[in-house]
Amino acid sequence: MTSSCRQIAPLLEAFGDEELAADKSLEVEQHLVDCNTCGERIRLNQALHVSVRSAVRSAAPVMPGFEERIAAALRAEAQREEAVDTVVEREAHHSRMLSWRSVVPVAAAAALTLVWAGSTSKHQARTEDPTHARLSTADQLLEQLVDHHMSARGPQVTEPALLRQLEPEVGVPLNLPSLKAYGARWEGANVVPVSNQHAASLRYTMGGRHVTLYVYNSTRVPIESRLKARTVRNEHVYVGTRRGVSIAATEHRGVGYALASDFNDDESAELVAAVY
Amino acid sequence: MSRKLSISAREFESEAIAQLSALLGVASRLTRNPADAQDLVQDTLLKAMRARDQFEAGTNMRAWLLRILTNTFINRYRRGGLERSVLDGPDADPLADGWISASTMESMRDPESQALRPMLEKEIKRILDELPEEFRLAVVLSDVEELSYKEIADIMGCPIGTVMSRLHRGRRLLKGRLYEHARALGIVGPEALVGDKSEKPEPVIDLSQYREKRVARS
Repeated sequence: MTSSCRQIAPLLEAFGDEELAADKSLEVEQHLVDCNTCGERIRLNQALHVSVRSAVRSAAPVMPGFEERIAAALRAEAQREEAVDTVVEREAHHSRMLSWRSVVPVAAAAALTLVWAGSTSKHQARTEDPTHARLSTADQLLEQLVDHHMSARGPQVTEPALLRQLEPEVGVPLNLPSLKAYGARWEGANVVPVSNQHAASLRYTMGGRHVTLYVYNSTRVPIESRLKARTVRNEHVYVGTRRGVSIAATEHRGVGYALASDFNDDESAELVAAVY
Repeated sequence: MSRKLSISAREFESEAIAQLSALLGVASRLTRNPADAQDLVQDTLLKAMRARDQFEAGTNMRAWLLRILTNTFINRYRRGGLERSVLDGPDADPLADGWISASTMESMRDPESQALRPMLEKEIKRILDELPEEFRLAVVLSDVEELSYKEIADIMGCPIGTVMSRLHRGRRLLKGRLYEHARALGIVGPEALVGDKSEKPEPVIDLSQYREKRVARS
């Protein structure tokens, strides 16, 4: 190995990847004119490149039916989005039509209707349009999360070591996110009913403000459809505000995390992205 | 209120379907299981569909999808992130450091196909799957998807220098294992050292040693 080779050999990989600066590339090319060994290094690198590409591509062909499966899943998602937009538009239209004087009585009437519907319409719900039923469920779930966050119920568990006792009710592993880096202090946990499921409600205080972190089975508590998607540090989170409470949700290995607080959406998104 | 999307659902579907083969290739090498790879691709595309208003029109859709795929894989299958590189020892390349001769290198190639000799090529997938994930991913993104170092750095969430290091180490391990295999098959003979014997580094790092170190540290 000549001294010239010693200088050029470390550059060959980037040269083969076409990532070398122009002046260095020129230097390599000039060296290759006379050096068969470095030329052979380049050729072997290229052979490896070709073989890796061929091996990976041939090992994972797109199987018959897979493309259709993906297309169907994407179309179902598009339909769900369209349905959400329609409902959101309708709600926005209604809210524009209502003056503040009429909001309170209408809301009261709606609440009564909900109470009545809740007590009588289990049977009817089965015949509802499934898309609409799912949207209603997502809305109700968000409302419930806000309700629990606003309530002052005392904690059932205050020792981190006892948190796992709540797992059978919640149905997912419960590990206590410390959030100490954000100045959060854990106060305790409850199990709260959310729809027909249970979620762990972990209460924190941050500078005198209350933060509730819900942990639940994300496949059974689908709240993200009414929240807006965004990315925080490469994590996908969903954020929205209900009754002045910011809800930020994310999912990890089938476990859902939703954070309720009076922070703004940016802050709560940042916080929920750090919970696991 | 309608969603202000840079790309419609229909356009997204069309572009996503066009990337299926690439996504499946990377997913298969990450999961090493065809069924898991298909699930990973589906999860990736649904997440991407929901977040498509964050895709910047005119940028590389494939690289964007691969970033989501990698994050989804890490979140779902590797809670602690990708396998960390704890390889110690000299960072030596048997080829670049000159202890394999040009004729040996030449005999590992197939002169007609510009690829490795078929007997070596058929071992590539197995050897690739034995690499630590972060090396394997870097090699696949570069050699199969032909992404730039910058794009790979964005996908893996690390500096470009780290990408270069992972690529180099991944390829070095691949070449070292292929060389061992070529010797075992008699494709190449015992190598007469080229140059000064003092230049010969320690043997290429044994993956089983790497795994043992990893287990010992965890």
